[in-house]
Amino acid sequence: MDKQVQVNLRQQGSLPILEFVGEMTTIAEDSIQAAYRQINLGGYNQIALDFAKCGYINSAGIATLIGMVTQARRAGHQLFAYGLTPHHQKIFRMVGLADYMLICDSEADVLARLKP
Amino acid sequence: MPHRMTRETELAIPSELGYEQVVMASAAAVARRMGFAPDRIDDLKTAVAEACLNAIEHGNQSDVNRTVNVVLSEQADRLVVNVADQGIGRMPSRAPAPGQGSRHRGWGLFLIQNLMDEVEIVPASLSGNRIRMVMRRSR
Repeated sequence: MDKQVQVNLRQQGSLPILEFVGEMTTIAEDSIQAAYRQINLGGYNQIALDFAKCGYINSAGIATLIGMVTQARRAGHQLFAYGLTPHHQKIFRMVGLADYMLICDSEADVLARLKP
Repeated sequence: MPHRMTRETELAIPSELGYEQVVMASAAAVARRMGFAPDRIDDLKTAVAEACLNAIEHGNQSDVNRTVNVVLSEQADRLVVNVADQGIGRMPSRAPAPGQGSRHRGWGLFLIQNLMDEVEIVPASLSGNRIRMVMRRSR
C-alpha cells in the first residue's frame, strides 16, 4: 500500500528543480538520492525543491530529506523549497530542515530570489 | 448536570506500511466532529501516523499477520488516542535525540511529543507497546 514517490528533475533557466510527486516515505530514499546525484554532477549552486504535489511526508521521508540536505550543504548548494502546506512548513521548522533551506511561496518567489 | 458520554472508535490495521493513512483519515474525521481547528487536525494526523508507523515497523516488526489496534476516545475536553502493537519489538519509552541511532524512530517520536498535548509511552509488556496521545480542546 506504500506508494513510491516520483522525483522529476526539470530545469527553469539555470535552476534545477526537484519535483516530488506522491508520498515521501521510506521508499523515497533511492529515488531522491539518484535525482540529487544527477544534479550534483551538473555543477549547480542553487537547487529548488518543489513539494506542491507531495501530499504526505512522514518521519522516514524527513530523514531522507535531512540526508540529502546534509549532502547539499557539504557541496555548497543553496536550497529553496516551495509548495509546502503550512503544516509541512511547521514540521520542517520543527525538525530543523528550515535552517538549511529557504522556504518560499512559489516557484516565481524562488526565481525572484536567485542570485544573478 | 447532563451526562457526557465518551464515544470510542476502534480500529485494527495490518502491520503494513501505508495502512497508517487509514487511521489518519479516521482520526481526522473524529477530530472534525469534535470541532478541532484544521491546524490541530493536521497535527493529530501526523502524530497518529507516526505512532502507527512505530507500531508497524518496530513493535510488530512489519509482520502483516499482526495488528495495530487504535482507540479514539472522544471526551468532553479532549481526544485521547491509544495506539497499541503486539509487542514483538520493544519501543523506547522516550524519544532519542533525532538522528541518533535509528533515524526514523527518532523523528517519529520527536514529532509525536511536539505535536500532542500529552504523550505517554508504555514499552513492551506481555500485551505489547502502547502510545497514549491527548489533544485538548483548548490549547
